Amino acid sequence: MNHSPSNKDNQNVSRRSFFQLTLGWLASTFAVTAAAAGAVRFLVPNVLYEPSLRFKAGKPDDYPDGSVTFMEAERVFLVRQGNTFRCLSAICTHLGCTVNRADHGYHCPCHGSVFNDQGNVVSGPAPRGLEWFQVTLSKDDRLVVDKNQRVAADKYLVL
Amino acid sequence: MNAPLPKRIWQWFTRTRVGRSIFRIGLPESNLERSQVMVSSFLLHVQPAKVNRHSLRASYSLGLGLISLYLFLILIVTGVLLMFYYVPSTEKAYDIMKDLQYVVSAGLVIRNMHRWAAHLMVLFVLLHMCRVFYTGAYKRPREFNWVLGVGLFLLTLGLSFTGYLLPWDQLAFWAITVGTNIAGYAPIIGPKLKYLLLGGNVVGQEALTRFYALHVIVLPAVAFFMVAIHLWRVRKDGGLSRPDEPGDIVQQVELKQLPTNKTYGLMELARGTTPQVGKNPEDEVFSWPHLVFRELLLFLLVTAVVLFLAIFWNAPLEELANPIHPPNPAKAPWYFLGLQELVSYSAFWGGVVVPGLLVAALMLLPYLDRQRQGVGRWFARERVVANTIFTVCLVTAIVLTIIGTSFRGPNWGWVVPWEQPPAITEGH
Repeated sequence: MNHSPSNKDNQNVSRRSFFQLTLGWLASTFAVTAAAAGAVRFLVPNVLYEPSLRFKAGKPDDYPDGSVTFMEAERVFLVRQGNTFRCLSAICTHLGCTVNRADHGYHCPCHGSVFNDQGNVVSGPAPRGLEWFQVTLSKDDRLVVDKNQRVAADKYLVL
Repeated sequence: MNAPLPKRIWQWFTRTRVGRSIFRIGLPESNLERSQVMVSSFLLHVQPAKVNRHSLRASYSLGLGLISLYLFLILIVTGVLLMFYYVPSTEKAYDIMKDLQYVVSAGLVIRNMHRWAAHLMVLFVLLHMCRVFYTGAYKRPREFNWVLGVGLFLLTLGLSFTGYLLPWDQLAFWAITVGTNIAGYAPIIGPKLKYLLLGGNVVGQEALTRFYALHVIVLPAVAFFMVAIHLWRVRKDGGLSRPDEPGDIVQQVELKQLPTNKTYGLMELARGTTPQVGKNPEDEVFSWPHLVFRELLLFLLVTAVVLFLAIFWNAPLEELANPIHPPNPAKAPWYFLGLQELVSYSAFWGGVVVPGLLVAALMLLPYLDRQRQGVGRWFARERVVANTIFTVCLVTAIVLTIIGTSFRGPNWGWVVPWEQPPAITEGH
């Protein structure tokens, strides 16, 4: 014998209360979900006040032959060998520290990843090699680096 | 009338019309008043009028939970004071830290207190968790309070981590860079989570604003309410765990079997263990003065220790944050150095999988370990398996933390702390 009131209700749910319950639950679920989604979307920024990912890197002759130049603001290395130009990311693929140029290759000071001159991982926890970015020449003969465009290590800008 | 002067003034005041309207009961003189004072005061009513002798034993609880609570209160007070000067701006924050050190009256001591109390809180919350584990105090009916406690431990780490960025020095910048990149390794949502946390792709003004909001209102507010629920449940679950507890003697009132045409008093409906249930009155003493006095003494002790540390040791402040040069080695706060050591082997396994499984195991623990024996005693023999597993995990974490703290030098290479570290060779 069970005299609980909830059980009694279940036995004869009128059409009206069925619709009221269903609509009520649907409406409140929708309202909560929409509010939560709106709040999360609010937190995703639409404008970034960060350095542009595409930037001019000066004249090709600013970089001597065989040089590896660190560009502070953009955190990249500009590599010139003969008439070829390449651009290597200085951000470690492991946890985002800025790598240092060593005699041969690059060292990350945070967790000890070591990369060779081609940006490939030699040792350490880095999951991937350092990224290479596309280098082009603008109409006014300036090098242009585009960090949106990742390229293979053997892609050169040849002048 | 041999009472000291302050007590006589107090007694006179609580007998006046105004005094009685505020305090209701003055300094209690009888056992009745000792009960009444606990029940009628907002601040004291969280605690029972009488408390079991076992709960007062310092060798049982070591007061670790209370110490954590007191550190939290010190952090709120000093944190609010710091807010009167601090501006979460990448251009101003660091200068304000310098002002707090050299210009603001008592600024140095208050910042030091905030920093040392934060470190101590991480330590004592962890110790409190160890105490609860080794005494088996997470078992029924206290399972959910253990889960809340694990949540509070994570909140403590989150509060500490978000506060770490605010000085905007090198330590801050690189600890947050490393920390948010670890979050980026989480499967599927990782990169989005990192973007959301930083408000962009790099640690900059947006990240500082977000961490500030999290640190000064979001996380403290959540922690405050969770502490309140944690304490409330300690009371509702029958006070501190004891060896001679009646256990699950709860005669659960089956509400539906009660006639509904009758009016009930609360005492007829309440269920669960209370310190009184099945207890010998001789085991209990009045909370006033036995419990209240001890709590006050412990509070004074904790405040004194934090003040002592703050006066004699300064909180570190490194150079201004510089995104170009990570300090070598770049280290997270000490309580994350075990994690950083794991991450140096593999960011995904060490940074996401191992800590994730550890937290899940801690949360599920009271539901997995259902053995009822060994509650209320330190290192009970019946719990030797559980204690061994916990100790192994704990020792591993401590060893990893010590390695990360003392045995890691430039390029995260192995160094021996008692030898001169090798000179750092800078590239570029």
